[in-house]
Amino acid sequence: MKYLGWRLLHGVGLLALLSLLSFMLSQVASGDFYSQLRNDPRISPETVAALRAQAGIDRPFPIRYAAWIVAVSRGDFGYSLAYHRPVAPLLEERIGATLILTGAATLTTWLIAVPLGIWSAARRGKWGDRVSTVAVSLVLAVPDLVLAIALLVLSVQTGWLPAGGKISRGYAQMGSIQQLRDVAWHMVLPVTVLVAGSTPVLIRHTRASILEVMEAPFAMSARAQGIPRRRLLYRHLLPAALNPLISLLGLSLGSLLSASLLVEIVTGWPGLGPLFLEAVMARDFAVVLAVVMLSAAFLFIGNLVADLLLYRFDPRIRTVD
Amino acid sequence: MNRRWRIGLTSIFIALVVAPLLLAGFVAPYPYAEQHREYPYAPPAAVRFVKARPFVEVGGRWCEVRLLPGNGRLFGVAAPCVIFLSGTDGNGRDVFSRLLYGGRISLMTGLLSAFLSLALGLAAGVVAGYFGGWPDWLLMRGGELVMALPWLYLLLATRALLPLHISAVEAFVWPAAIIGAVGWVRPARLIRGVVLSGKERGFVLAARGFGAGHAYLIRRHLLPLTGSVVVTQATVLIPLYMLAEMSLSFLGLGVEEPMPSWGNMLTEASHYHALILHRWLLAPGVAAIPVLLGFLLLADILLDGRHD
Amino acid sequence: MLFLRYFGAVVLVVLTPVSGASGDALVLSGVTGERGGTLVFGQRNEPKTFNPVIAADAASRELILRVMADLIHINRATQLTEPALAKSWTVSHDGLHYVLSLRRGVRFSDGQPFTADDVVFSFQVYLDEKVRSPQRDLLLLEGKPISVRKLDSYRVAVDLPRPYAVAERLFDGLAILPRHILEPVYREGKLAQAWNLSSLPTEVVGLGPFRFKQFLAGQRVVLERNPYYWKVDQAGIQLPYLSEVDLEFAGSEDTQVLRFQDGQSDVISRMSARNFAALEKDRVRRGYALSDVGPGLEYSFLFFNLNELPEGASPEVVARQRLFRRASFRRAVSVAIDREALVRLVYLGRAAALSTPVPLGDKAWVNAKLPHIVRSLPQAHQALAAAGFSRAPDGALLDPEGKPVEFSIITSAGNTERLQMATLIQDDLKQLGMNVHVVPLEFGSLVNRVFQTHDYEACLMSLIDSDADPNPDMAVWLSSAGNHLWHPEQKTPATPWEGDIDRLMREQMVTRNRNERKRIFDRVQEILMENLPLIPLLSPDILVGAKNGLGNFRPAMMDHYVLWNIEELYWRAEAR
Repeated sequence: MKYLGWRLLHGVGLLALLSLLSFMLSQVASGDFYSQLRNDPRISPETVAALRAQAGIDRPFPIRYAAWIVAVSRGDFGYSLAYHRPVAPLLEERIGATLILTGAATLTTWLIAVPLGIWSAARRGKWGDRVSTVAVSLVLAVPDLVLAIALLVLSVQTGWLPAGGKISRGYAQMGSIQQLRDVAWHMVLPVTVLVAGSTPVLIRHTRASILEVMEAPFAMSARAQGIPRRRLLYRHLLPAALNPLISLLGLSLGSLLSASLLVEIVTGWPGLGPLFLEAVMARDFAVVLAVVMLSAAFLFIGNLVADLLLYRFDPRIRTVD
Repeated sequence: MNRRWRIGLTSIFIALVVAPLLLAGFVAPYPYAEQHREYPYAPPAAVRFVKARPFVEVGGRWCEVRLLPGNGRLFGVAAPCVIFLSGTDGNGRDVFSRLLYGGRISLMTGLLSAFLSLALGLAAGVVAGYFGGWPDWLLMRGGELVMALPWLYLLLATRALLPLHISAVEAFVWPAAIIGAVGWVRPARLIRGVVLSGKERGFVLAARGFGAGHAYLIRRHLLPLTGSVVVTQATVLIPLYMLAEMSLSFLGLGVEEPMPSWGNMLTEASHYHALILHRWLLAPGVAAIPVLLGFLLLADILLDGRHD
Repeated sequence: MLFLRYFGAVVLVVLTPVSGASGDALVLSGVTGERGGTLVFGQRNEPKTFNPVIAADAASRELILRVMADLIHINRATQLTEPALAKSWTVSHDGLHYVLSLRRGVRFSDGQPFTADDVVFSFQVYLDEKVRSPQRDLLLLEGKPISVRKLDSYRVAVDLPRPYAVAERLFDGLAILPRHILEPVYREGKLAQAWNLSSLPTEVVGLGPFRFKQFLAGQRVVLERNPYYWKVDQAGIQLPYLSEVDLEFAGSEDTQVLRFQDGQSDVISRMSARNFAALEKDRVRRGYALSDVGPGLEYSFLFFNLNELPEGASPEVVARQRLFRRASFRRAVSVAIDREALVRLVYLGRAAALSTPVPLGDKAWVNAKLPHIVRSLPQAHQALAAAGFSRAPDGALLDPEGKPVEFSIITSAGNTERLQMATLIQDDLKQLGMNVHVVPLEFGSLVNRVFQTHDYEACLMSLIDSDADPNPDMAVWLSSAGNHLWHPEQKTPATPWEGDIDRLMREQMVTRNRNERKRIFDRVQEILMENLPLIPLLSPDILVGAKNGLGNFRPAMMDHYVLWNIEELYWRAEAR
């Protein structure tokens, strides 16, 4: 419990440090939200300067940072200059869509990759393993971006899947089961891309760590004692091989908010991805900062979970200091 | 299959795949920047053998392909004819030639940045896992900070501080350095986990009991334990990093035109029009498959070797 | 005389006002159609606001003009002004005083009546310095605001601080605001926060053909027919024909095009030439039509950094700028560029090469006497040799001081066409022995370098004019203006020819005789082509598509390319 408290405290400290760093970055980044208006011949430099002063982004950096900290302590995450709205509801509208997508993708990845990795390790050097190796290199060779667009084109050509988006036109008129099915149908494509991106890594790690423990003395003796293969794999080898998988689990929990950025943009999924990218390009700093803080919080929690699980499940790590 | 044979075959396979990339200046029929403006988006040439002599078709005309045509290249066709084995891009540049030159650059970027990431990750992971306490705290929380930083924003910011035009060598080193420096956290966390567990194993504790020094323990007992994770990470990081420079060119930090890389070639291919009309632009994606397969096979051998 | 010309044209296009149930409704003669149906328009980016006072991004403006209306409108097909909420107007002999007669019986989308008070309120808001509307600059003539007074409930007087050649065109796109809704907010000083996308549909009230119905974050804005709209068709049927318009956001151009191909969106505007070619393949099977409207108001150009460099600038950059300052150097670059290849390879022929820095869509104002630029390396060599340049044994071009010529061109990384143009120009200039680097930069950084830090050597860029007239580009050609790309915000003209351009541009702005204006602007173009501060490249075509069965679809080459006549669009029976 004390450990947990400490870690949470560190998390808050790190968030503060991260926000400070981000503010400093925004200071040296080229241009601010209003500089792009300079390219519009209809708007004079004087107006741009006045808008800048009005938004307060020409104030010195310590003052802006202090103002931000004060606002955040009151639960106010700032004001989007592009949307002319507070940031918090802007994120609220979109965070659910992102979490549904990445949640489904993470679950699918683990359900596919761990059994496949074990299977592949169990038949090391045989045909099945070879085929899986080739398949993994095939999937690794295709970048997510290319895969996403290729799948989109394919689904339009064949009509198998909808061309991006989250819901169909007639969504409002559907019953709740149909609505659920509609969203799931739209999720197939982006989830496939996300799963294809993360599965090979997990398969390889599962396979490698299972192979590692297979050679360990206890596994040798268990095999000599005639414990059935399947039981050996799942009851004895998998728990012993968990270590790197737990670290990976932490990392994939931590990236729930950030993993789907690119895929969302390509498939027009209404999550945080398009909002974040547009905000970075437009230098809509309050939005950028809020998304960064939120994904950082996820990251810390993911790593914390992984560390707790490591202590819990790896019998060899004894002490929590 | 016996192990020696497997090593031999895998090495030959990798050599066959990598050699054309390293010898791009000889194997490619054209320089990477040569524009054949009369042939934009030319589809891959049809090849036909007549009496065992290869011919390619260009605009309805068949021209003989000659080995060592005397311009310092492996093969080519006589002057008015052109040979585009894998078609051309929108500027009329030979995709096959660019594929070879680009592969060399992407391969180097991938290897260099993966090496950098793993070296940093290994150092950080071992130190954090072995010593625990404040070094662990510092490295792991620092790692979280690195992962949480808005890198796109950071690069936007630092780009303004760099000179506008960076030399060819810098243009190659920069992406590798950035990608490598950002990517150390994942391997570090994985390695730390393994070390945490490993340092409590019987033989490590025993060695410590005999008064073995830190350096000795790490080198002789802990580093070997991390081998499996390191090799596996390498096999997934190299392909990832080979193409990661795609997003850097967006900020003017990638490989500079007209120089090709698989990353910027695939960026051109990953558009609607290319997938509908010019699918041959996907060639780098296809070419990457045997290269990555080679790495995976190599990794298998390395992993096996540790247990034999 | 000039006024009569415009007015004459107006009377021809328009349509006698008849008094119907909805008062002074505007009758569109020759327009017929059928009511009902939904139109889905695929947009690339999400709009940010409904608020016309603060909107500065294209997606928001696209949305706002569906729900708002202006006093005098530019007809996108004829490019002439025509009455909108102002049913007629008169102008004094000196061109300084306008009296606008407003349409009677017009109602806002919430049923409240529209009067002169709304017009006066709107101008008060747009011109208020505290509100900081980006629209304000459009209503300033040489720094002085125009003024608007109420004469009676249906007449307003507009006084210009100085003569302006095409004053009626100023009113286009300037949305008239509902005083009864926005005045309280304005008094509280919270106008900027009003009318964002989370506002209630009933709060967003306008005079446009549609009104706000629903917003789904990141996905779509749904608009429904404004039951109080003030235009009727030939048969007296109230417009718009469509009952709903969905603006859907695709996120990227590829997804936008895919959704159009898939039939999920009905209309697509401004796609790239490559996507146009790719869509062509599936045209018949999917039942859509594509059209090339011809070159629009966009023009691309290359320019060199001619700013006064700050004290600490590196000697290398200073030396390079000495080259850029030579007109002979810029002329050699211009004549070495193969514009035909740019048109053919980058735009697959769907663009037109330029020989003056005026977009080809602005046909009436292009100086046709300027010679067509034909690529000629000998001519380029000659110009360079005459200016003291020489070739090194390895082919590299040496400047008069004997140093190799080397520079970099920055361009927007997000725009594949411009990036490709830069690589072709790089190759063209290599044949002169110049060592050119192409540096793609993210757009924000690019703009910052050009306008703020001046830390660049050459830049490839495009501008899109907001109107087919020389006036929108005043801020580009005046040496004191912020958009004088190659050397913005000069205190006094840096060169004699920039002084000449300043004088001529100011003269054309107040000249009311159109032929005289044209003569002056022709002279401006001659000076520009002699000195080449902007090396003109090309004007891309406007490429659009729509599903078969969409009636009255008349895409234009000006902004709002496909939706400008949205109230007239309808679905033919067979397409429903």
